[in-house]
Amino acid sequence: MKTAAEDRFFRRLRTALGHAPDLSRDATQLFAQGPSADELQMLDRIDGRSAADRRRLLERLIEAGTPINLRVVPVFDPAAAREGIAAVVAEKRPEWGEAKSVAAWRHPLIDRLGLEGALARRQVPLRITDPIAPGAGAGRECDRAQRDRQRAAVIASFIGVTGADFCLAETATLVLRNRPGQPRSVALVPSIHIAVITLDQVLADMKELFALLRWAERFRPEGLSNYMSLISGPSKTADIEATMVHGAHGPREVHLFVITG
Amino acid sequence: MSDISTEKYVAEARRGIADPVLRRSLASLQERFGRGTAAAYLQLPEGPDLRVTAHAIREKAVAHLDVLLETLAATIRRNGGHVFFAATAKDAVDYCLEVARRNQVRLVVKGKSMVTEEIGLNPALAAAGIEAVETDLGEYIIQLAGEKPSHIIAPAIHKTRNEVADLFAAKLGIRRTTSPPELTQAARKALREKFLTADMGTSGVNMACAESGHITTVSNEGNIRMATTLPRVHVAFMGMERIVARLDEYEIILRLLCRGASVQTIGTYVSFVGGPRQQGDSDGPEEFHLVVVDNGRSRILADPQFREMLCCIRCAACLNICPVYGKIGGHAYGFAYSGPVGAVVTPLLTGVNRAKDLCRGETLCGACKDACSMDIDLPRMLLALREKLAYGDAAWQVEPASRIEGLAYRGWSWLIRRRTVYEMALKLAATGQRLLPRAGAMIRRLPPPIHGWTQSRDLHPLAEQTFMERWRKRKAPSNARVNSEWAKKNPTGEPGSEGCGGGEGLGDEDGRRG
Repeated sequence: MKTAAEDRFFRRLRTALGHAPDLSRDATQLFAQGPSADELQMLDRIDGRSAADRRRLLERLIEAGTPINLRVVPVFDPAAAREGIAAVVAEKRPEWGEAKSVAAWRHPLIDRLGLEGALARRQVPLRITDPIAPGAGAGRECDRAQRDRQRAAVIASFIGVTGADFCLAETATLVLRNRPGQPRSVALVPSIHIAVITLDQVLADMKELFALLRWAERFRPEGLSNYMSLISGPSKTADIEATMVHGAHGPREVHLFVITG
Repeated sequence: MSDISTEKYVAEARRGIADPVLRRSLASLQERFGRGTAAAYLQLPEGPDLRVTAHAIREKAVAHLDVLLETLAATIRRNGGHVFFAATAKDAVDYCLEVARRNQVRLVVKGKSMVTEEIGLNPALAAAGIEAVETDLGEYIIQLAGEKPSHIIAPAIHKTRNEVADLFAAKLGIRRTTSPPELTQAARKALREKFLTADMGTSGVNMACAESGHITTVSNEGNIRMATTLPRVHVAFMGMERIVARLDEYEIILRLLCRGASVQTIGTYVSFVGGPRQQGDSDGPEEFHLVVVDNGRSRILADPQFREMLCCIRCAACLNICPVYGKIGGHAYGFAYSGPVGAVVTPLLTGVNRAKDLCRGETLCGACKDACSMDIDLPRMLLALREKLAYGDAAWQVEPASRIEGLAYRGWSWLIRRRTVYEMALKLAATGQRLLPRAGAMIRRLPPPIHGWTQSRDLHPLAEQTFMERWRKRKAPSNARVNSEWAKKNPTGEPGSEGCGGGEGLGDEDGRRG
């Protein structure tokens, strides 16, 4: 809602802009009406990528991941990803408390892994974050109760497993857009974040990401969603005598499984 | 308004210089980041000229600030977020307090934000009985120590691991350790509790994008993501200039921000926030508020001399190169913003006279302009501020800081435009300087009121004969020789123009040869 105070704010702003008459105010150039020639070329390049091109991107991703402590694990199929995740679950110890539990997104690729069985064999419970069902009809849990339960499950988990929308090879950056069933806290609150993607989700850099999100028909409707995170490796800080320490507030480890198929 | 202690610049700077620990930390910071950033600019595919492109992007954004802010606000409101436009620091703080009161907030977790330092959010929350915890490790350390940030990106750069060890042992009740990983772990544990129980999270805004309708935050620790994901309410504060039109432009700014701030290709976490949690989402805040802060920025915008300052993205690259900041540290600047950026923006935001020593303390060496990720001409603005201080300025309510200085320069300007008077004055000074105490060939001390000049350095005396006198005495043939050689080397130059500028040095050499 617009208030009188807001009107005054903008009046003062416009007066200030008017006081500097040499400012160019060519608003036609402000927002793009369509993709630029560069962007069109980028979209073509993404669509035309061969298997060899994708392999090269994967190599770049692994290279960029090394200095920032991102462990990139290429695996052939979902079964291999499952075994890799199970190995991490078996090997690592929980940071807060003794019991191991894992939280994972409700996500088509994660569903295909068959994590539940693999973790059950190791007596580690898997909590899937299902979308919050709307309304509090008869016999149905109300929104808040569902959310509170899910939040508690994520907080109790020492590993969070997510998918990702894209991965940028140049900077080893995971791109996660917000959706029901795919809460951002799974990639944030547990001590270890494991992400699973397929090779065709790897892009070269952020320019390609924005070209796709802005102009590709299949991504444009969702755009950036109401919350998009770019995650490049584990959390870190250098605030004490500039000494690099991993695991400041976010995950101390990030493992990325890339299914090459 | 937060504490402003810009008047204590000289005393605080002395204290900084006298602190060997601080000097060592700053030297090592500048050694790594200063050089690293320059190298990172060179490695950009577009080269360091990308900064010029970025400058143009920011200037265009600033020129259309009204359109961009309205576009951003409309999108965020459509997505269920609230946007408040605050004319003053007080308006911004009051709005946040009102949101806190409505939500019965008792604990606030703060993501690092310089604009909340600027508006004094922490003291206001404390006065309202609300606990506010800084969650960036550096900010947390200085909050526990009851101090203020001394660097925009590395706020606790002035603290040693020993000091942090004592502090954590006393305040967190842990076993004393000087190991940075163990100290970090202790803070991680203490703050995790806060994140999980806080009712409100606050953040700054590194840059907003009007086209997509998002604000963005950049952090390495993940504290800002925690503070904006777990609590029920998220309040983000942004200086009104921190916006670009399009995502392709945003991409360029972000790359330069990360290189300028910490020599990274990208920060660990870059989050795009477009509003509160949506239907079906299981986490994220129920309420999202964006507070857009003017607090003196429209005045900067209105002045063509200074509006370039609004291109600044507070990456702190200028701090990491500035020879003055590198010696005195950030506390001397007496406000949220230190270093060269502080020396320009603090006087403009808090009053030029109050903060006069900040812009007078800089050396005008130009290193900050070379380091600036947005290619901002800080030295030009430092000079413009000094001009206002010399002659006064009604629009900025500046009183001349020293009438004598203003008069002296007016006199000088009058003098150098009158050849004969100028030469007489030189003669007089050349004779008069014999009375001054010497150290070898150099003048050791000047008399008041200009004695400050020789407080820490000696002054080269005026030559016995001026350049022009020597020139006239030279024989005509050799004059012609010099002139023709000069003309060969500088086909388009005018002989003689060099003579005026480089007078003394040339004269000396000439004298020895002759």
